[in-house]
Amino acid sequence: MSESTVIADSGAQRSGVSAPAPAGRGRSILRPLLLVALLVVLLALPLYVEEFWLRTGFAVFGAAVGAIGLNLLVGNAGQLSLAHAFFLAVGAVSYVYVSGEPGGLGVAELDGLGLPPIVGMVVGVLLAGLAGLIFSPLAARLRGIYLGVASLALVFIGIHVLNAWTPVTGGFNGRAAPNFELFGFTFGNRDPELYVLGVPFREAERLWYLGLVLALLAYWYARNLLRSRPGRALQTLRDSEVAASVMGVNVQRYKARIFLVSSMYAGLAGVMYALSIGSIAPESFGLELSILYLAMIVLGGLGSVNGAVLGALFVSALPLVFQRYADLIPFVGDRGEGGLAAGEAARFLFGLAIVLVILFEPAGLAGIANRITGRVRRRPGGRVTEHPPDSSSQSNAPVPSDKPAQGSTT
Amino acid sequence: MSATRAAESGTRSDIPPVEVVGVSVRFGAITALSEVSFTVVPGTIHAIIGPNGAGKSTMFNVLSGVYKAAEGEVRFGDARLDRMRPYQIAGIGVARAFQNIALSGTQSVAENLMLGRHHLTKAGFVAAGLRLPRATREGRRHGERVAEIADFLDLGDKLHTPVGVLSYGDQKRVEVARALCTEPRLLLLDEPVAGMNAEETDRMAAAILEIRSALGISVVLVEHDMGMVMSLADRVTVLDFGRRIADGTPAQVQTDPEVIRAYLGSGDEDSPSEAAAHHHPSDTPGATS
Repeated sequence: MSESTVIADSGAQRSGVSAPAPAGRGRSILRPLLLVALLVVLLALPLYVEEFWLRTGFAVFGAAVGAIGLNLLVGNAGQLSLAHAFFLAVGAVSYVYVSGEPGGLGVAELDGLGLPPIVGMVVGVLLAGLAGLIFSPLAARLRGIYLGVASLALVFIGIHVLNAWTPVTGGFNGRAAPNFELFGFTFGNRDPELYVLGVPFREAERLWYLGLVLALLAYWYARNLLRSRPGRALQTLRDSEVAASVMGVNVQRYKARIFLVSSMYAGLAGVMYALSIGSIAPESFGLELSILYLAMIVLGGLGSVNGAVLGALFVSALPLVFQRYADLIPFVGDRGEGGLAAGEAARFLFGLAIVLVILFEPAGLAGIANRITGRVRRRPGGRVTEHPPDSSSQSNAPVPSDKPAQGSTT
Repeated sequence: MSATRAAESGTRSDIPPVEVVGVSVRFGAITALSEVSFTVVPGTIHAIIGPNGAGKSTMFNVLSGVYKAAEGEVRFGDARLDRMRPYQIAGIGVARAFQNIALSGTQSVAENLMLGRHHLTKAGFVAAGLRLPRATREGRRHGERVAEIADFLDLGDKLHTPVGVLSYGDQKRVEVARALCTEPRLLLLDEPVAGMNAEETDRMAAAILEIRSALGISVVLVEHDMGMVMSLADRVTVLDFGRRIADGTPAQVQTDPEVIRAYLGSGDEDSPSEAAAHHHPSDTPGATS
């Protein structure tokens, strides 16, 4: 211990130390290259693929935003929530109400503010965040499965409101979502007509880029958050609330904040969902949607932003792909024909995939991806880059050793 | 002899004493601590010892705000620790290293240590998430200090290793390092050498002395290793069944008849078998000193 002077020196003068900024950790050249290549492919894709894939892509981007948000809450902060569908609904309904035109079809008289869609999107995100914030005092007091059950109530309330509040939500029949629009540029089929390299850029192409930008922003924010002070605090409170609070983290406030952030993500995902389907309907925002989002983050890898994206890709694209290629895939048939319906087949596959992931790769798809890229990466000193929470090292609950039962007053 | 050591090491003026006055903690009908009082003199190493179930960890939980005292006061200078929440206590410079390791196993050593800087830093959900320059700068600056503290506890080469894959001894050192990263004025160490081998124990003991002499802070230590307690501590408080049975220098405590009775059993009241069940042999004071 010859460094007694160093430790006394609270001025932190020493320079040239490899600061433990996580950004500096063993980077290979491969990863950035892969990322750039991926981005180029994503940007160029609308020039080459047909509308179905672009529409699927936009749905995946929307799901990715929602999954990243849910993963921050469940995977990183350890707060189980089944209410994600509710927050998506808040975002979606706010969007169609704020940006929709008043009017009505048949019996349903619809209200609408008719404001620009970007306002609708922002309001959707903010209102979903607000809903999360209002719920968070409850969330801060409950833990684990209890929180999950409490959050379940929100889903049922949401469904009821969607069905009953017809002027806003369109009621049982749902309501059409207005096209997105930014500074006079419509994300629809015309206004203006647009050709890029001879390829007509219609709604699907335009939405693809909108989705890409929104998903990248969501990804970027989550990555930054997790690598910095709030992210460390959240991950510690997941592992031990007592340890986090003793280290100076205001646990209640952090739980509330992450609920806010997560529901804002859900709100944006809800808006994108409405844009992707073109309308909203009560049955879209049921418990099943919450479960699908949980499936995404478990499959993708709890606590990993990349995992959330991979999970979203898998879970939201698979049923659509099955549907399209129903006649090519054995055992899957079209609706009304023999065999499984595409949605059901996809669900069987999710079930199987989740069982396999839990058995063989608890870090999910992200863990598998890490393993593949990790093989090429140079790792000094057998460093482990990815490490599933292991019960032996984390039976850490700092429960005092002298519990009341042991107090032996006899 | 040990009382003078504190004076030699030049105490800092910003370190107040810790005054525990008549603290009781009850869980339902069970009293875990009963009117315990002691004072930690600034800049000293103060050990709390006692047989299993004596209330040592409960005392630590009161000091760090995890448990609320039913009666009594805990003062740290002007602050009333018994009325504050744990994160507020951390904010005024009280740090704690846990007995059962409470680190985040998936995060690297550096990330775990950076958590210690939490109350010293500001970056929130906006600044950090949007990577504003001030958040980046702040992270870099505190990262340097964290690297120094890691070096001090021989963790410099493990900064980027996930804590979960480290050896037990290393993890214990990360615990202490994380507490140090808060730049504490009072350091609470809950069995810092439990489960360590002899060499690791010696290194930890040297580090604790170093911390005290270099930083001039107060250290409160719960420890079962009597050799370590007797050689490190300036003052010792002995608990048994939630009561304070002795308080003094190591030399005084070692010869105190109450303490010897608590550890060995007198045979008068307790039946021998009961005493053996309650008191682990290694707790015996003087066994190794």
